[in-house]
Amino acid sequence: MAGIRAENIRKIFGTYEALKSVSLEVADREFTVLLGPSGCGKTTLLRIIAGLETQTSGEIRIGDRNVSGLPPRRRGIAMVFQNYAVFPHLTVFENVAFGLRMKRATADEIDRKVRRAAAMMHIEQLLERYPSQLSGGQRQRVAVARALAVEPEVLLMDEPLSNLDALLRMEMRAELKGLLQETRTTTIYVTHDQVEAMSLADRIAVMHGGRIVQYDRPIRVYQDPATAFCGGFIGSPPMNFIRTQPVEGGGYRIGGAAFPGPAAPAGEILFGIRPEDLIVEPESGPGLIDAEVGVVEPLGPHLLLTVRIDGQPARVTAAPDLDIRVGETIHLRPGPGRIRWFDPATDQAIREPA
Amino acid sequence: MPKERLLAYLLLAPSVLFLLVFFAWPFAEAFIVALQVRGEWSLGNFATMARDINFAPALRNTMLLILVIVPLQVMLALSMAMLLTRIRRQRDLVLYIWTIPLGISDLAAGIVWLALLSEQGYINTVLDALGLIEGPTLWLSYERPVALFVAVVAAELWRATAIVLVILVAGVQLIPREYGEAAEVFGAGAWQRFRRITLPLLKPSLQSALILRTILALEVFAVVVAISGRDLTVLMGEAYFWQNDYRDAGVASAYAVLILGISIACTLFFLRALRVREETEMR
Ligand SMILES: Nc1ncnc2c1ncn2[C@@H]1O[C@H](COP(=O)(O)OP(=O)(O)O)[C@@H](O)[C@H]1O
Ligand SMILES: [Mg+2]
Repeated sequence: MAGIRAENIRKIFGTYEALKSVSLEVADREFTVLLGPSGCGKTTLLRIIAGLETQTSGEIRIGDRNVSGLPPRRRGIAMVFQNYAVFPHLTVFENVAFGLRMKRATADEIDRKVRRAAAMMHIEQLLERYPSQLSGGQRQRVAVARALAVEPEVLLMDEPLSNLDALLRMEMRAELKGLLQETRTTTIYVTHDQVEAMSLADRIAVMHGGRIVQYDRPIRVYQDPATAFCGGFIGSPPMNFIRTQPVEGGGYRIGGAAFPGPAAPAGEILFGIRPEDLIVEPESGPGLIDAEVGVVEPLGPHLLLTVRIDGQPARVTAAPDLDIRVGETIHLRPGPGRIRWFDPATDQAIREPA
Repeated sequence: MPKERLLAYLLLAPSVLFLLVFFAWPFAEAFIVALQVRGEWSLGNFATMARDINFAPALRNTMLLILVIVPLQVMLALSMAMLLTRIRRQRDLVLYIWTIPLGISDLAAGIVWLALLSEQGYINTVLDALGLIEGPTLWLSYERPVALFVAVVAAELWRATAIVLVILVAGVQLIPREYGEAAEVFGAGAWQRFRRITLPLLKPSLQSALILRTILALEVFAVVVAISGRDLTVLMGEAYFWQNDYRDAGVASAYAVLILGISIACTLFFLRALRVREETEMR
């Protein structure tokens, strides 16, 4: 078992800087998810950790070794690729056995470990088949079994579930979570799916434009986004942002309600709040935000309202049995302690003075 | 008939017509000529061919050339293709340079090697200057069959390895990079990756290359004539001499039919030996 440290990793492709000095530390037995939109550098960082790509500068340490110059096979890692990369000319058994054969394990050991990994992924009955005779989900299982069979110090996964359909994805997600809680392998898992990240991670590293903008426990990333980008990227629907200016005498007015807040850095500030943290009240009153209802979507577990606050769009989730009409003005109470402030120029969160 | 089907047949028609007129018809004609002696159906032409003193050496030389040239070419082309995957910059340039000999006709290629190896050729000049031989040495004569053979092999390697290379490079590019990377992550070094991943996945391309090269090697002629005259006899050469020097189209056609038979046998052999089971195809 081993932790992973990436120190000041930069990667330049030609003239394009894909990673801008990224540092990441994953503790022994920790499950870290790299989360970010497509093109933000997740795969590049993972491939550098794996040794499949060479960093322009910076250092990778796995356990107590500096592996920066080592080829992938000397790094003690296993990897699950986005397109599975299950060898088409080998049976499922031989695919899962591949890493063990390369290590010259004995036939007994290979048989035992392959069967154990296959049992973990529930593919024992498929061992004699070829990959082309499997469904996408089954191939995915083979790819994971192949990685588990070598009992790696570190497991790297690049969007392993992204090619599966939604239902299967949810199923595999839960299964992977259970499995990796059992094996306790140090894992870095790449995804652009925030639900997957929230569900699986011990810690989430949110990437944006070649940087890690926040690295924290899922609930902290959700509740206390380090940047407006994090708040907007995580959560569905995303966090609401209302742009506003300070009023005379300090504080801000949002939808007619007065709120204290931190100083606006350049005369403007973003007021941020999650849709579920806006509570619909029956009567107007002090501290309630007035919002004009534009769209009402009854989604079953809740109503999704698209409203305008001070002319700016926002979303609210409300109880499913509320009678809310389009065009009506509703009154919203922000949940206690749920308001966040951001600098519109730098995107950074501004902490309220305690 | 639906319009699209009609269009498909119409588009196919020119090539079908071409094949019928320029391949199927001469084919049939060659068979008929080979199987007739003075208007009578007979195997006489084949008997004449088999009794001829040049027949056995020609058959032996042709087969030996195939056995030596084709494996060497495939190994060379494989190494070159693998080298190309490692070159990052100027890869296309290297590929172009390696494939230049493809643009040279086989007769011209033979003459190039003749110029190198003849009595007053470049190789003698260099060897002489280095003091390795005393005066001009005659390499290419019927007294040195091995030297003739080696010269033909060298010329053919130089001339026609590139066609194998082109097929294999195309095949290598069809293999997704992730397979090699997965193998690398799971502990395979360069040789293991080549043997366990690249080579098996390259089977379809190897098959095409082997079939094409073997058939072309069976027809080796111009290079041999340029280098050895008739000192090194080959099947295709005999077909030519029977047609043009002895004016016996029957025996010449018998040779042609024999070459065709061997080609088909080799093709069937490679189709079987390098068969890719459907379930193991790349998808
Ligand atoms: N081999 C490469 N050559 C040039 N640019 C690349 C290469 N690989 C990735 N990039 C660029 O680097 C950026 C990050 O890519 P990637 O790490 O694949 O993003 P992600 O996995 O987060 O979607 C993208 O803009 C991509 O176009
Ligand atoms: Mg990616």
